[in-house]
Amino acid sequence: MSRNFLEIKNVNFKIDEDIKVRNMSFNIEKKGDIVCLLGPSGIGKTTILRSIAGLEQINKGIIKLKSKIISSEKINVEPEDRNISLAFQENSLFPHYTVEKNIYFGVEKKKNNRGLDPRKIIKILNIGNLLTKYPHEISAGEAQRVSLTRSLVSNPDLLLLDEPLSNIDENFKEEIQIKLKQILKQHRITTIIVTHDSNEAFYLADKCGIILDGKLKQFDEPYNVYHSPNSISVVKFLNRGVLVPAKVTGEFTLENEDLGLIKGNFVNIHKVGSEVKLLLQPEDLEHDDTSNLQLEVVDKKFKGSSFIYTLKTNSQKLISVFVHSHHIHQHQIKDRFGIKKPIHIKHLVCF
Amino acid sequence: MKSLNIWYFSSFIISILVIIPVLTVFTSFFQSTSDYIELLQNTFLYDYIYNSAALLLGVLSLTFIIGVGCAYLVSFYKFPGVNFFKWSLILGFAVPPYIYAYSLTAFFENYGTAYTLLKSLFGEGNYNSLIPKFDGMIGAILSISFSIYAYVYILTRASFYFQSHNLIELGKNLGFSKMKSLFNIIIPSARPAIVAGLSLVAMETLSDFGAVDFFSINTLTTAIYNSWLSFDDLVFSNQLSFYLLIFIFALFILENLSRKNAKYHSPIQGGIKVKQKIKLKGINSLFAFSICFLIFFLSFIFPVGQMLYWTIIYPKNLFDLNFISLLINTVLLVSLSSVALIVFSFISNYGNRIAKSKTLNFLTTISISGYALPGIILAVAYITFVAWFDETIINFFEIKSIKKIFIGSILGLVIAYFVRFYSLSCNGLKSSYEKLNKSVDESSYLAGYSKSKTFFKVHIPYLKSSIFFVFILISLEIIRELPITLILRPFNFETFATTAYIYASQDLLEAAAVPSLFLVLTATLFILIISRYILSENYE
Repeated sequence: MSRNFLEIKNVNFKIDEDIKVRNMSFNIEKKGDIVCLLGPSGIGKTTILRSIAGLEQINKGIIKLKSKIISSEKINVEPEDRNISLAFQENSLFPHYTVEKNIYFGVEKKKNNRGLDPRKIIKILNIGNLLTKYPHEISAGEAQRVSLTRSLVSNPDLLLLDEPLSNIDENFKEEIQIKLKQILKQHRITTIIVTHDSNEAFYLADKCGIILDGKLKQFDEPYNVYHSPNSISVVKFLNRGVLVPAKVTGEFTLENEDLGLIKGNFVNIHKVGSEVKLLLQPEDLEHDDTSNLQLEVVDKKFKGSSFIYTLKTNSQKLISVFVHSHHIHQHQIKDRFGIKKPIHIKHLVCF
Repeated sequence: MKSLNIWYFSSFIISILVIIPVLTVFTSFFQSTSDYIELLQNTFLYDYIYNSAALLLGVLSLTFIIGVGCAYLVSFYKFPGVNFFKWSLILGFAVPPYIYAYSLTAFFENYGTAYTLLKSLFGEGNYNSLIPKFDGMIGAILSISFSIYAYVYILTRASFYFQSHNLIELGKNLGFSKMKSLFNIIIPSARPAIVAGLSLVAMETLSDFGAVDFFSINTLTTAIYNSWLSFDDLVFSNQLSFYLLIFIFALFILENLSRKNAKYHSPIQGGIKVKQKIKLKGINSLFAFSICFLIFFLSFIFPVGQMLYWTIIYPKNLFDLNFISLLINTVLLVSLSSVALIVFSFISNYGNRIAKSKTLNFLTTISISGYALPGIILAVAYITFVAWFDETIINFFEIKSIKKIFIGSILGLVIAYFVRFYSLSCNGLKSSYEKLNKSVDESSYLAGYSKSKTFFKVHIPYLKSSIFFVFILISLEIIRELPITLILRPFNFETFATTAYIYASQDLLEAAAVPSLFLVLTATLFILIISRYILSENYE
């Protein structure tokens, strides 16, 4: 018998007759787990949240929450009877109520609410100074924090967050991410977060789902999603490396015509002698000025803590290399840039 | 969804009920009628059509010039009194065309107020030949225009308010003069609003009964009234209504086709940039002030002054008027109709909001066409339907006749007002409803509130100012309304409007002044209450 906290089995997620995501299945095993769904805009991430919340109906599959069917082709538990909270991406605050009244709106309904103390969340999310204001008097980022507070304090069985931090200033975002994760983990609030920001997803999630082309392409721990993407489309979506042609030469080796011998552990088994495409991520290559493998610098991106150099190989391929920004010297465009040999990559991801 | 069906069903029924009179008019086209049609075709039919067209053309031209001209002056220029004129120019709306017509006649007629004024200023003289006479077609055009130009003024002003500042600056950059900018940029950009205002003017003009009847102009509307009252031919009366309706709908279709895919101004993201008004000096400032003052004077001060003058000169009429009874009757009609309209409009809007049904949406759109139905047509169609229902359905079941319940009763009047003003009430709430993001409803559901509780806990508090606005708007319309009240009212049941009409039709204009004055003052009060809302940036 299934003991999953949330179970989504073979579900088609749709708006009216337009099926956005087909045949999707994933589980949240334990109460308090956080799942992040990543995907490009318009792919149907919000539709998934709306369907789980009961705002859209499904016509195929089953959604179970705490072993009880809440959505199926025949059953559709009303949104108000699900005890699921959804913080919308757009401003969904009641325009005629103050921020305080908005926050307590959900709490008022649930008389035996033993959830989070609203005052505590208001303090943590730093919105105490907004309580007497009306939604039109606050910024989009502040409205998003109010909406988040309202959802948190309603003590839901399942919390759904749709791009919860998209309007929050960059300098404040990281602080909120940390606080949000602390609250969710401390109070064991099972959460599904939809975002297009992979860094946010990798930080917050216990598991990440990548949705592409109307399907759930990968559902795994963030580390695995990043280091072992299971398809070329996931690689392209995450945009964290390039695919270069290579030939498998042994159990732990392969050969690329520009970079030479590359050693490491294959994530998947490949026959010796087969031609593959190897994923090269910026962290996979090391810089070494004394190396005899010298490539031309064609671009340099300063990322604060690091530089990402884009290099051109002899066969005109572009590859990226990560270098700490405190590295003793910098290279300029058109300079030669050495790559440490032999190349050793921990996870050899090949397709 | 469990509660969806109740809301859907209620909205569906309301829409169907409101559509019935429109359908009645359309079905009459296929029914046989008496010989009156032949008689009319051989005699006055073309005169009626010509008069209706001439009246329409005259009123549209005059309201366009006054409405757009005043909106332009108060929107783009700064001159003494501009803030006063901004709202006072809508007060003309408080004076119904028929009351304006009484004032116009009373002032300019032989030995009228103008004559008395001249006599008191300059002594005895043959002034009657010098005083122009505004009766007949000219009188009707002036009365209707000064009474309803506010439709064009309000909508055009709102459009000018929203007009992108860049558009005005574009004209300056292109080296256009003020006049060239007005005709080549500002007016074309405000075209949808101007056309919307003119459409309302067209509907009101074609449906006007009081003023044209007073000036003895035979139009299609009076023909409908005559074919029903004089020739007892309800079917032909409905057929005439059918042609009139086709004419009104054709106007809308033509306008829509002419617009094609052209896009017009839209509110700019991040709010409206406050326009720097051009400060007028010297003769230009005096000119702008004079124009606005003249329009304000002619549309409001003149008719009110005339009514007030007569009330003071003939105080006996004031004491003879059964004021309490008229007030009670008016309040009764206003309160019953407003409550019914607001409650059912709410149900219909909410049903549409949660049902997401194209059929229901279509039905609601059709049902609000009742406003395009002139009051007189509506009254006739209503009587036709009740008579048909009574003679077929009720008769079939051998139940007691329902005619007395629905015709010549308060209930009948309320139903007819309901159909006539349903679009006003429904659209008034709809425009506010549309500003409320649907995710707000969904947030309420997810907080554990059902659809019904969301309705009472979220929507009603949110829409309370709109409800008040709609209530005042309906009250204003009902107080001014004449033909429906005249035809469907119970025996001996009078309102300020019917009392004024009855006195005027008996040539007792002095006596008509008192109820007219009360009507205008009440309407003015209502307009002043909602003027802030009408003139705010939210209104369009």
